[in-house]
Amino acid sequence: METELVEKAASGDRQAFAALIESRYDFIHAVAWRWCGDRQDAEDVAQEVCIRLAGAIRGFRGASRFGTWLYTVTLNAARDQMRKRRRAEWRDAAYLREQAVLEGGPAEDGSEELWQAVRRLPDKQRDAVLLIYGEGLSHAAAADVLGCAETTISWHVHEARKRLKVLLRDAAA
Amino acid sequence: MTDPDLEKLSRRTPPAPDASARAKALAVAMQAFDSAEENADAPQGSPMGGRQSSIFNRIWSPVMNRRFLAGSALATLLVVPVAGLVTYELVRNGTVPLAGKTQMAEKRDAGEAAGRQEVEMHATDTAAKPPSVQPRAKLAEPAPLAESREDDSAAVMPEPFAVDSATDDIEILSRSVVPSAVGEAAVKTFENRERFASADPNPVKSVVTDPVSTFSADVDTASYSYMRRALLGGELPDPSAVRVEEMINYFPYDWKGPESAEKPFKATVTVMPTPWNRDTELLHIGIRGFETAPMAQPSANLVFLIDVSGSMDEADKLPLLKSAFRLLVGRLKDTDMVSIVTYAGNAGVVLEPTPAKERQKILDAIDTLQPGGSTAGADGIEAAYRLAGKAFKKDGVNRVMLATDGDFNVGPSSNEDLKRLIEERRKSGIFLSVLGFGRGNYNDGMMQALAQNGNGTAAYIDTLAEAQKALVEEAGSALFPIAKDVKFQIEFNPARIAEYRLIGYETRVLNREDFNDDKVDAGDIGSGHRVTAIYEITPKGSPAVLNDPLRYGGEQAAPVTAGSDELAFLKMRWKKPDGETSELDTMPVTDADAVADATAAPVDVRFSVAVAAFGQKLKGVAALQDYAYGSILGLAEASKGNDPFGYRAEFLKLVRLAGGISGEKAQ
Repeated sequence: METELVEKAASGDRQAFAALIESRYDFIHAVAWRWCGDRQDAEDVAQEVCIRLAGAIRGFRGASRFGTWLYTVTLNAARDQMRKRRRAEWRDAAYLREQAVLEGGPAEDGSEELWQAVRRLPDKQRDAVLLIYGEGLSHAAAADVLGCAETTISWHVHEARKRLKVLLRDAAA
Repeated sequence: MTDPDLEKLSRRTPPAPDASARAKALAVAMQAFDSAEENADAPQGSPMGGRQSSIFNRIWSPVMNRRFLAGSALATLLVVPVAGLVTYELVRNGTVPLAGKTQMAEKRDAGEAAGRQEVEMHATDTAAKPPSVQPRAKLAEPAPLAESREDDSAAVMPEPFAVDSATDDIEILSRSVVPSAVGEAAVKTFENRERFASADPNPVKSVVTDPVSTFSADVDTASYSYMRRALLGGELPDPSAVRVEEMINYFPYDWKGPESAEKPFKATVTVMPTPWNRDTELLHIGIRGFETAPMAQPSANLVFLIDVSGSMDEADKLPLLKSAFRLLVGRLKDTDMVSIVTYAGNAGVVLEPTPAKERQKILDAIDTLQPGGSTAGADGIEAAYRLAGKAFKKDGVNRVMLATDGDFNVGPSSNEDLKRLIEERRKSGIFLSVLGFGRGNYNDGMMQALAQNGNGTAAYIDTLAEAQKALVEEAGSALFPIAKDVKFQIEFNPARIAEYRLIGYETRVLNREDFNDDKVDAGDIGSGHRVTAIYEITPKGSPAVLNDPLRYGGEQAAPVTAGSDELAFLKMRWKKPDGETSELDTMPVTDADAVADATAAPVDVRFSVAVAAFGQKLKGVAALQDYAYGSILGLAEASKGNDPFGYRAEFLKLVRLAGGISGEKAQ
């Protein structure tokens, strides 16, 4: 079904492309939100991803790998967005992020701290953790998205754990 | 820190995206998609590397790329000893004279300045090699998917491209999105983005299981002009572009018309042997609409909705369109109203509703049309309907005439929304007709859908002669409807007919129950229109029967009470142009309608059969594959009849061309 849409869109079918992004927008937005932790940013990223897809879908020949590819594109856009933020308005972003955490979804088990900590991890580690725990991908699938070996992913996750432990302890202190 | 802690991450549900942000993103994406489409047929990439740089850099920088260095170092380690060994062996055996090597190398580089040292040649060789790997190296920079490299952490991305099996995909991607202004030398490939609404040819149906066939009238002719254009251009038309019924209905036939407007049309039925299969017969139904006298025709309120996007800037598009509309304006009555709306980027009103009396003003407005900008059809159609509403003629004909070379850019809203809009306006009395122009981007399916939903016709204008036919000679039919939602239903008598196949009308087939449902939209018939439908029927007991009789349930077939000389029963339903409820007319098809010999059939019947044969052959219908173009030609030649406008002579020419192109032996 989606594969078919992707193939059609790749061959320039406008309607297929419209249907495709329509159905995938929520997914893109959700991923973007997990990465950025901010509504505004997530919307910006999602829009950016839609535009990038529009430019890149034509001639895309890997319809079966569309899901993986979509992750890659979204992650790239999210990283760009965060870098923009970091540079320009670090403090604003931190504020917004807090707001977002407060307004976005009920934080039951005190997971905001964890989220904040995860977002402070180095990019590779954060990506690995979010893909595996946030998105529920397998190590192999995450490796596919990030384009590295499965063992590398496992190593990133391992490192992330060590780092998180420190970060959380610092936060608690 | 244990796993369960991290599991928390998955439990957080992201907030639902904001609807307006979502809509905006989708709209922007569609815009980007369209602009990417425009770039898509620009030459992509250039044979040379992108940047201007000195030859030294071009050679040196790929060589110094760390990634390749590892590879080449390894390769060198392997190649050097092997090459050494081979050279040693060859020289020792005297197989290769040492002097020959330089000669060959010199030959290879004949264009190069003479007297170059061998060392230099080595350098150029190295330069020539990298391109096989170079595209990969480039990916990291231009591919818009990869993030801009400003941060160390960004280095994650370039690697996946190189390592990943998706490398090929991404290579294609990066090529398709980097528009290149360079590369005039690059071959510009002709990309055909035409789309057609088509279905597979109707199958042979058994009368026992499906005794009833229902379809809607179709008076479009677009397919014929399109086919003609392809053949005159030296190629067989795309089978999906061929709609047999449109080809048949292209020709004016001399069917007997009704006497009064009360009963707006009349059917003439002929049953004749099938020229391409001696075991079957053709049930030929010719219908002609009532022809209103030009004086009695209601006045018209026309809005020309004209595509002036950049793509229309070709001799067979905007200039032809201008001439076509000039022809039409020349034919209008003084009381008729004309407005002109263009669309391209922004929709614009070129001419407010103007009575046709002020011909010069209208012609001047047509002359000012200039191509430019991209296509934004949805706004244009809104503006057109607004003007049509402004000059609405209560008892007249209100029609938007859309002229375009291709797609409608409908923004984020789907084709469905557009169809709904057209349908709504149709109910308020404003109809829509479509005139297609040009090649390369023609969206036939869309044009069909628009015209069908707008109670109009879709015509394809490839030459001024065609414009003359569609807009002047047949303007009455195109502009003044005499009946709408015209449906046909034919029930075959299972005692006489075993099987049937409807020729053409694939996109017009209706469900059996739709016939009596007045809410189901169907085709319209204009003043003097002819509609011809042909069934290939297999009489009971003929050796051509394809379906075996049913082993069970054969008894269930209703016993035939009607006279056994009845072959079939034809029912027609239509509405008055302004009516809401349909009227019904019926007629039996009996042995009296049958002719024993094909030559005994009226000339026009035979000609339409020839056209049907030609159309089916072009469409690749299996039944016609053994029937030669030469035979079609013979059939058509013998039934050319009265041909005042030369349409039939042209058809003969096209059959000859098709026969020639397909390589069939001339007879």
